[in-house]
Order: sequence, then C-alpha cells, then structure tokens
Amino acid sequence: MGLDFTGIVVVAGNYGSGKTETAINLAVACRRTGMDVNIADLDLVNPYFRTREARIPLEALGIQVILPDTQYMFADLPILAPAVADIIRQPSDLTILDAGGDDVGVTVLGALASVLQDKPVRMLQVINAFRPFTGDVAGCIKIKQEIEASAKLTVTGLVSNANLMDETTGSHIHQGYELVKSVADHAQIPLEFITAVPGILTERDLAHFSCPVLPIDRKLLFPWKRTLKT
Amino acid sequence: MAKVLMKGNEAIGEAAIRAGCKNYFAYPITPQSEVAEYLVKRLPEEGGVFLQGESEVAVGYMIFGAAGAGERVMTTSSSPGISLMSEAISYIAAAQCPAVFVNIVRGGPGLGGILPSQGDYFQATKGGGHGDYHLLVLAPDGVQEAVEMTMQAFTLAEKYRGPVMIMGDGLIGQMMEPVEFPDDLKTEPTNKDDWATSGMDFRKSKKRNLVKSLFLDPTALNDNNLALKAKYEQMKKEEVQFELYNGDTDYQILITSYGTMSRVCRTAIDMLKEDGIEVAMLRPKTLFPFPEKAVFEAACKDSCKAVISIEMSMGQMVEDVERCVKGRRPVEFYGECGGDIPSPEKIIDIIKELL
Repeated sequence: MGLDFTGIVVVAGNYGSGKTETAINLAVACRRTGMDVNIADLDLVNPYFRTREARIPLEALGIQVILPDTQYMFADLPILAPAVADIIRQPSDLTILDAGGDDVGVTVLGALASVLQDKPVRMLQVINAFRPFTGDVAGCIKIKQEIEASAKLTVTGLVSNANLMDETTGSHIHQGYELVKSVADHAQIPLEFITAVPGILTERDLAHFSCPVLPIDRKLLFPWKRTLKT
Repeated sequence: MAKVLMKGNEAIGEAAIRAGCKNYFAYPITPQSEVAEYLVKRLPEEGGVFLQGESEVAVGYMIFGAAGAGERVMTTSSSPGISLMSEAISYIAAAQCPAVFVNIVRGGPGLGGILPSQGDYFQATKGGGHGDYHLLVLAPDGVQEAVEMTMQAFTLAEKYRGPVMIMGDGLIGQMMEPVEFPDDLKTEPTNKDDWATSGMDFRKSKKRNLVKSLFLDPTALNDNNLALKAKYEQMKKEEVQFELYNGDTDYQILITSYGTMSRVCRTAIDMLKEDGIEVAMLRPKTLFPFPEKAVFEAACKDSCKAVISIEMSMGQMVEDVERCVKGRRPVEFYGECGGDIPSPEKIIDIIKELL
C-alpha cells in the first residue's frame, strides 16, 4: 500500500487541521521515490506556521518551493506569487498546493480557476479529529461543503491527521482513522491516507488500516524546541 | 472533557464561553483574529453575541456599555488596537466596571510587524490610558494557562470591579497545544444590583444606578482615586502569581522572564543543567501586581551572583526587576523584539558571559 499521487494536488482542510505538515511531508515522501516535486504556499490567511518556515530543508531535498517574494514574507496581505500560475500550467510529476484554512483559505483557488481548468486536480481534505468543529461526521461534512463551494473544486479524498502533537498516542490515531473512515463512507470518497509520527504505531496497528500511513516529521516547531532536535 | 488541540486564540474564545461570557465585541487584527473567527461560530450556539465594531475606539466603548450594565464582556485585540482602546480602558477603570481585555502582542512601535513581541509591557502595567489606574495583568506561557487565566480574569474583574488584561504574544495566540478545559465557571452571587445600570425594572429596585468617570468635585475625585488605590493595594496582597523554576538549587544566575520568552529560558536552563551550571528563573504570571517580594528574595539567595531579565522587548520588565532587587545584585538585560524569538543556544551564550 503506497502513496500514489501525481499531477496537481490541493491540500485543504479546516484551520489547524495540519494541512501544511501534511503537504510538506507528502512532498518529502514523494520526492524520496524519485519524483520531481514542487510545492506552493497558497496560505494567504494565516501568517504564522506556514510552508515558508520549512523552505530550507525542502529545497535541500530538491523540492521546489514557491513562496511570495521575500520582502512580503511576513506581511499579512493576500499575496499570490505569479510563479504559482506557472507551476500549474506546467506541473512537475507532483505539484502540491498548500491552501489556507477553512473556506476562506481556498478562495484563492477561485482566482486560479482559469489556469486550473481542464487540468486533473485532486483536492484532499485534511481532518484532525481532535480539533474544534471536526470531531464528528457532520462537522467534517460541513467543512467539506464550505471548502468545495469556495474553491469551486470537489474534494476527491480525505486524510486523517489525528494528533495532539507531542501527546499523540496510537489510540488517538485509531480514533481519527475511524472518524475519517465514517466521513469517507458518508461522502463516498476514499480515505487516501492517514498520518503518524514514526514509532507511535505498532506492526499490528499498521495491519489494521485499509490505507497507507504517511510518516510525519514535524517541520514547524516551537522556538523552544527547534534546536533540541537532532 | 478529553483533551483537544487548540490554538491559543481559539482556546481563549472557548474559555470565555465557559466563564459565562455572552458578549464579545472586537475588531480584527493579526495575530489574534482567530478569537473572533472562533466566537462568531460558537457564541450563537450559547445564546451569546459577537458584534464587530467599526474600530477599536468603538469597541472600547461597547465594552464600557456592556460592563456598565453588569454583563460579562470581553474583547481581544493586538497592540495598535489596544492603543486605540486605551481611552475607554481608563474610563472603565475610573467607573469601576468589570471587563476582560486580551492583548495578543505584536511587534511595535507604530504598525510594527505581525510577529510576537512583549513590547507592550509598559502599556499594560504602567498606563496606556490616562490617570491613576492599573489593570490587573495576567501573562500566560502557553495555551493551557491562557485558558485558565481567561476564566480567572472574569472572576478577578468582578472581584475588583475593574478591567483585567490577559497579555499574551503572537505565538501564544497562534500556536496549538493540547488543552483541557476546567469546569464551567459558576455564576456567583454579586453586588451588581448596587451599581450596574441594568434597569430599575430588571432589578426590581427604585434606586437609580449611575456609572460615570466624571467627578468635578475635587473631594469626590480624590475619593474615587483613593478607592482605586485601595483596590490595587489589595491586589498586591492577594493576587500575586509567579513560578520559580529550578529555584531549589544553588543557582548562580536568576533569570526573570515571562510568556513565550520564558519557555525558551526554561529549555536553556535544562540544557545548562546538563553542563553542571545551575540557573533559576522567576516567571511572573501576574505582571501587575508584580511579584516584588519573590523577585527580591530569589535575587538575594547567597549563591546568586546576578539577575538578568530576558524579554522580547528592548527592556521594559527589567525596570520592575531593578526596582525589586534594590541594588542588592547587578541586574542585566537581554532582549530582541523584531519578531524572531531568541533560541535556547542564544540564551545559553548570554548566561555563560555572566558567569
């Protein structure tokens, strides 16, 4: 069971569901299989904890990172780098668009509608069962509908990113998996993969899941932890 | 209730609901807009109201109005917004109305930047608005403490009939941590009927209440200021909160630090311990009332050679630290306030220079 992503993949979801961590780690996992990967930060909504913070390690792996101009890096302005349209017109093996949170965060995709037209686009909705508003099926479906209406794109698959950060246990990952599986059944779209920090899941856990597991190496760390990591 | 993963801003919103706050007025500004985004969804579910003012000046007086009517009320903003509200805060303090203000501080002065800062320490503890008043100021160091302090803030605002401030910084508002909510705050019997303009019919009273900050008679104005001063003296006796970290060792250096900056200092202290260097940290949890006695006593420990205040500012709390240490130890300062947070390694280098 491997991850199978090519073309343009939009990563969406509600605020703080872990879109950026998921997008970054998906880019890394696909790059390691030899694919050409680029990733664009479309998060125009929230100026903290964005793809731009992980730029250096991603570029070191040969992943092209599209960000606003450096001079606007810390502006809370809705700036879309012109290069984003270019990478959509000529996608590499895998082009990941890391969108902002909620329906507001994907509004920007509407501005890209003309370049996205006629391109096969997949849009993933990332769900963390332990975040406000997405703890049950109804909440997740509501967010899905809002995102679709705003992005003018259909959510084609779901991702469970169940976590309580450092306090995450295997049980949390199971709970998230069960929830997102129910959402997937309800919406009749696939649960594409779940995420887990390595070491949390046992072999027995892994056998239980009907989808791949994306290993997460947290890139966006708190300043008091950043340098403790080796 | 099981743990959930929340941003500081969202958690402050939820904590206000659990404290029984049904009135939230605000104007958006980075890095705290998620409080409004959260409450616009949650408050209607609880029968509450979120109203966006046309500016922070308006919001300040909306808070005054609701507080004067005896309602539990909160606003949240960030530095420039708090500056605009400061006139109303002074009026609210003078008129003795309970209200909760949250400042998720960004870099200043002026428009500054949107990244975290602690540059509003003076504004929060020494004034902001005009006249002889103080805010009771609580400074959380993470999301869990932000929840607990937000709930406490409503109790304290009512106990002292005055404005209480939660002072976080951009990172406290933006970061996510697992959080658990305490039981909902009980509605205690209050003396609101004695002063709030909640309506004579509503109170079933023939007594007219008047909320005001204008005292043209010099004796009345002096009496009002004496009443405020008495409250601040009571706060100094009853409300001081602080944490002394690694204080039971023979530490050579005492750090004073609060909020996000104290998290970095904590890591630096743990790393220095591994090298056999003992350093302690006194973390004020209330910035006003300031832990005066605790700072003095911690600085005067025999093993302690020097005190250093480490802040995301150009040197503000350090003035209170110097005042409390009373010249008994040298008081140094290190600060950055562009938005980048100093790393634990940087703090270690600074400490080693002092040894």
